[in-house]
Amino acid sequence: MAIIDARTLPDASPIEADLVIIGGGMAGIALAKELAGGPLKVVILESGGLEIDMENQALYAGSGVQRAPGNPDRPFDDYPVQSRVRALGGSGMVWGGKCAPLDPADFAERAWIPHSGWPITREQMQPYYDRACDLLEIPRFPLDRPRPTEPERQPLALDSADGFFPAPREFSKFSGGVDKAAFDAFRTKFADAPNTTVYLHANVVKIRRQDDKITGLDLACLDGKRHTARAARYVLAVGGIENVRLLLASDNLGNREDLVGRFFQGHVTYSSDGDSETEGTALVVSRAAPMDLYAPGKGRAAHCVIGAGAAAQARMNTGNFTATLFRTKPSGTETPVGADTQTLRRAGGRVAGGQDEAQLLGYFAMAEHFPNPDSRVTLDPEHKDPLGVPRVRLTWTYGEKDYADLERSVTGLADALGASGEGRMCWSIERSKLLAISSASRHHMGATRMHADPRKGVVDPDLRLHEAKNLYVAGSSVFPTSGIANPTLTILALVMRLADHLKRETGAVR
Amino acid sequence: MTSRRDLLAALVALAATPALARAAAPDSFAGLDPAAIGRIGKAWRDQHAEVTAQDLAVRLFPTGRGPDALARLGALAAADFRAGKVFTYRGWRLSDTEGALFALLSLEGQP
Repeated sequence: MAIIDARTLPDASPIEADLVIIGGGMAGIALAKELAGGPLKVVILESGGLEIDMENQALYAGSGVQRAPGNPDRPFDDYPVQSRVRALGGSGMVWGGKCAPLDPADFAERAWIPHSGWPITREQMQPYYDRACDLLEIPRFPLDRPRPTEPERQPLALDSADGFFPAPREFSKFSGGVDKAAFDAFRTKFADAPNTTVYLHANVVKIRRQDDKITGLDLACLDGKRHTARAARYVLAVGGIENVRLLLASDNLGNREDLVGRFFQGHVTYSSDGDSETEGTALVVSRAAPMDLYAPGKGRAAHCVIGAGAAAQARMNTGNFTATLFRTKPSGTETPVGADTQTLRRAGGRVAGGQDEAQLLGYFAMAEHFPNPDSRVTLDPEHKDPLGVPRVRLTWTYGEKDYADLERSVTGLADALGASGEGRMCWSIERSKLLAISSASRHHMGATRMHADPRKGVVDPDLRLHEAKNLYVAGSSVFPTSGIANPTLTILALVMRLADHLKRETGAVR
Repeated sequence: MTSRRDLLAALVALAATPALARAAAPDSFAGLDPAAIGRIGKAWRDQHAEVTAQDLAVRLFPTGRGPDALARLGALAAADFRAGKVFTYRGWRLSDTEGALFALLSLEGQP
């Protein structure tokens, strides 16, 4: 129906709807799209405006630290403000568009990983993943993906018993960082629907509850105006950290079991450049055929990473792991390291019988960040934003198992490549330096985790807050485990599932 | 006077030595950087001080360095990874067979 600047409303305006979606990011927009044209009156309350604005962005400011055993703490104070976007479209404004589903193993309860297991299977998610792919206009990810037929896109011939597999990644154009015009249409056109209204600059500062029911929202604009919003149902979708912040700032909403904010999980990549002692994270591949399936010649092209499936994880007693390959220039022979690498390439290629020189590729490794109750988002009551909401403190914590499993996974993949004759891997990062060299993605998962048991989760399998029957949470904060896939596609798939639930519950089936 | 039988016996014995084996082999590892071979080989030999060139030649080329030698080395290397027999050099995770090969090549390259 409209996009309205909440600052233009008379002070203390009441906003009413059947469903209020808090947050106009990818999740909120996708949900509104699913409900567009239906009988429910839907309102989105977005903190930011149509474009990125630093005054709005500063509302994210908080503090942070990364911690890991045997590593110096790493200050991360800038991370909360730099890793999300407050604007209509949310972090989709800067998203790279990379899409991948979580693996079947990610949904499974794995006995060797405490707190693992989703109340949904990968198979049950398939129709929702399909719809999310359709929304993003990318190819679907069938569970049994056909093998590529092109000779230059053949997968590595690893022994299937080793459990590594080519895990596909696709790219959507619907990102402000990719196709601004397409994304602008994606994030605004849905508001033309007669049942949809978007309010910009409408910051929800408190969720009000009476017993087990949400009774309303307090809104604040940076110009000083205050409004309220009421609906029969609410969906909280303001991001993996901010979801926690708003719940805790609303009189500890949902936190009866002290779970809100715990189990925060993030994705980081591990790689190292060459130096005077090592080649860094590199890989030589014996085959002569191109490696386009894994390392295509152009950026943002569909490709596969090498993933550790359930069999590999069970065999190695590890979590999920991926190696993302990329093209790199062969090192020169003017240094001992370069000369040694060249010699290993040439000898390796000949021994493997593939070619005179094995191909040299770079890679970065990623390992699942295990659910850890000490990895958490809390509030800093001493510091509040201009709207009076306490700022966040992020304590991003790894345990011994995180790094031990990473190293075991690298070794396991290196051995699988070696045993198949496909290649050799180089890894030379000392464990005590893993935290310092890691590069953090903007993926915030797990801190309002989903579980059927209210003692073990913040939301139930329908994404409904255990403590409030008319509040749902959308976004990666509900992920019980984080896998390694970029979370947006799974966020949207869960939104599709939530939309179906809401339609059934309200009788709003089109 | 050396009989024909003695001569054949001597040739068979010599065939097990690196010099004759090298002379009989296709030059599978030609063009590799001798300094790099020396460094990689020495790193392996530092962990196996007692091993001689003859030991290595027998281990790596028990039937000589004919056309099948490379395929055999490849199979040995693959088996090493399955058996956890690995050699790490500058972060590269190599098979023990490869380490031994570089050790042999480095020894053979010595004046």
